Amino acid sequence: MQENGLTIALSKGTLLDPTVSLLEAVGLPCEGIVAESRSMIFAYTGTPRIRYIICRPADVPAYVEHGAADLGIVGKDVIVEQGKDVFEMVDLEYGYCRFVVAVPAAMSGVSLKELNYKRVATKFPQVAEGFFRQHGLQVEVIKLNGNIELAPLMGLSDVIVDLVSSGRTLRENNLIELVNIMDSTTRLIGNRVSYRTKYDIIQPLLEKIQSKMKGE
Amino acid sequence: MKHKEIPKGLRDFLPDEVNARRNLERKASQIFSSFGYEEVITPTFEFLDVVEAGVGDKGRGKLFLFMDREGGIVSLRPEMTVSIARLAATHLQDEMLPRRLYYSANVFRHVEPHLAQYREFWQTGIELIGAPGAWADAEVISLAVNVLRDFGLENFKISLNQVGIFNSLLDDSAIQAEFKEIIRSLVEKKDLVELGRTLDKLPINDLLKETIARLPTLHGGLDVFARLPYIEKSPNAVKAVEELMEVYAALKSMGVQDHILVDMGVLRGLDYYTGVVFEGFSPDLGYGLLGGGRYDKLLAQFGFPCPATGFALGMDRLSLVLKNSEKESPHYIVGGQNWESVVKKADELRKDGKIVELDVEGLSRDALHEKLADYPNYIIIYLDAVQ
Repeated sequence: MQENGLTIALSKGTLLDPTVSLLEAVGLPCEGIVAESRSMIFAYTGTPRIRYIICRPADVPAYVEHGAADLGIVGKDVIVEQGKDVFEMVDLEYGYCRFVVAVPAAMSGVSLKELNYKRVATKFPQVAEGFFRQHGLQVEVIKLNGNIELAPLMGLSDVIVDLVSSGRTLRENNLIELVNIMDSTTRLIGNRVSYRTKYDIIQPLLEKIQSKMKGE
Repeated sequence: MKHKEIPKGLRDFLPDEVNARRNLERKASQIFSSFGYEEVITPTFEFLDVVEAGVGDKGRGKLFLFMDREGGIVSLRPEMTVSIARLAATHLQDEMLPRRLYYSANVFRHVEPHLAQYREFWQTGIELIGAPGAWADAEVISLAVNVLRDFGLENFKISLNQVGIFNSLLDDSAIQAEFKEIIRSLVEKKDLVELGRTLDKLPINDLLKETIARLPTLHGGLDVFARLPYIEKSPNAVKAVEELMEVYAALKSMGVQDHILVDMGVLRGLDYYTGVVFEGFSPDLGYGLLGGGRYDKLLAQFGFPCPATGFALGMDRLSLVLKNSEKESPHYIVGGQNWESVVKKADELRKDGKIVELDVEGLSRDALHEKLADYPNYIIIYLDAVQ
């Protein structure tokens, strides 16, 4: 943790551009932060001193939970999958996507309980298992690292749990959405102790972002 | 090599770490003793019924449970306060009160381990049994400050709250019990996003909604109460605020107010807290260092209605933020070919308070010097054969 300054972990990838616009809008420095940059740390002098860490979205909660970063900007999808102990401060509303259960078109019309003891391929084992357990169902979860839509095509799994935004990938692979598990948008998260020890810096920033989100 | 694995979340402590740990425990117990606290030891495991009479049944997934051969379900203790409450209800009912107790003990929780979170961890703490009122709370909280100061910790803060403020607001709101639980856990987790959404769906007064939504972010001096307009409408909440202010005033007269903050987001997870609660933290670690509060209804669970308050220090987390400043004492090593004179010399040195090892290997002078050349903490005394 940086004394007297603020360290913010930002997700690289598609969230970075809207994040930089948000930072600009609330008056934080962000000259030079571009998606193509190879730098991973951007530091600015001024009051308060601001430092950004640009990292993989999946790593943002870890930086924040451990206090290596005071704040972080990351999707709700990452937060629920990791179950890290962080303070969820503001819904920033961009980066919309949703967790869905999808099945091959041939299974269209299947009911959820017919999926009991089926195989589920997913990048998000916590979310997938939690969802089925909540409905009193047991499934075998197969963790994959990408291109989940391939799994049912190749007979690796019966269904998938995946993150979709428009749903185009599902359609292209002849899969249909069966259940919307939850919606996800980008969140501002904070470390619990930082929030207290750096309250004087974080609280005004929090209020600024909150009122921007309310459109004030 | 097989058989070297240890269960997840556990660890060994090597001499350096034990030394640092014992120093902290010693400092804490000196301060506690000087205030009249006496050490107690309770069993490492208790019946599940005893544990859950105190902490409730929501956290069963975090208990290490097993059965004894008589068929009772037992739990490794997940914390100490419930055990001390049971002890007090069993042994202290006829004693003069208040009674002051302290402990240093390992506790066990089935959590996902990471830095500063283990499945077996160590707590040192106090319980002040049989004293209601702000002065008792102030004694306990000021002791937390004194101990952290004595450990050499700087910049630490202790956040105070009174759980009655939050509980009265919810009780007055006619919110259904299940939603109360949800709101409580959201305030505690400081999940502002979900809290806002949940409150939006509830048919309650807008001013109350706003007040509850603000609780997790209210933090600072006594002025935070000015930002809670709804409180004045709830006589119980007003009472709780007054109680918190009394404790704050008492702490001020003890000269520790620089370390004290008010934080309405501190609720402590445990069901048994009834009054002032507090947590301590330092900017050097992203996790709390100590926690405690008043639990006036817990002892009644064991048939001894009696007010009480206390706190526990997380010794593993404190060790992470404190550098061990104690200098290691030099080790003398006495060598030589005549065992009797070696032993005699060593005993003489020990009488002067030195730490003395015997060279049980019987090395020659040169060999001994060569062996310890890279260990500057050793002072070699070699006895030549008597002329």
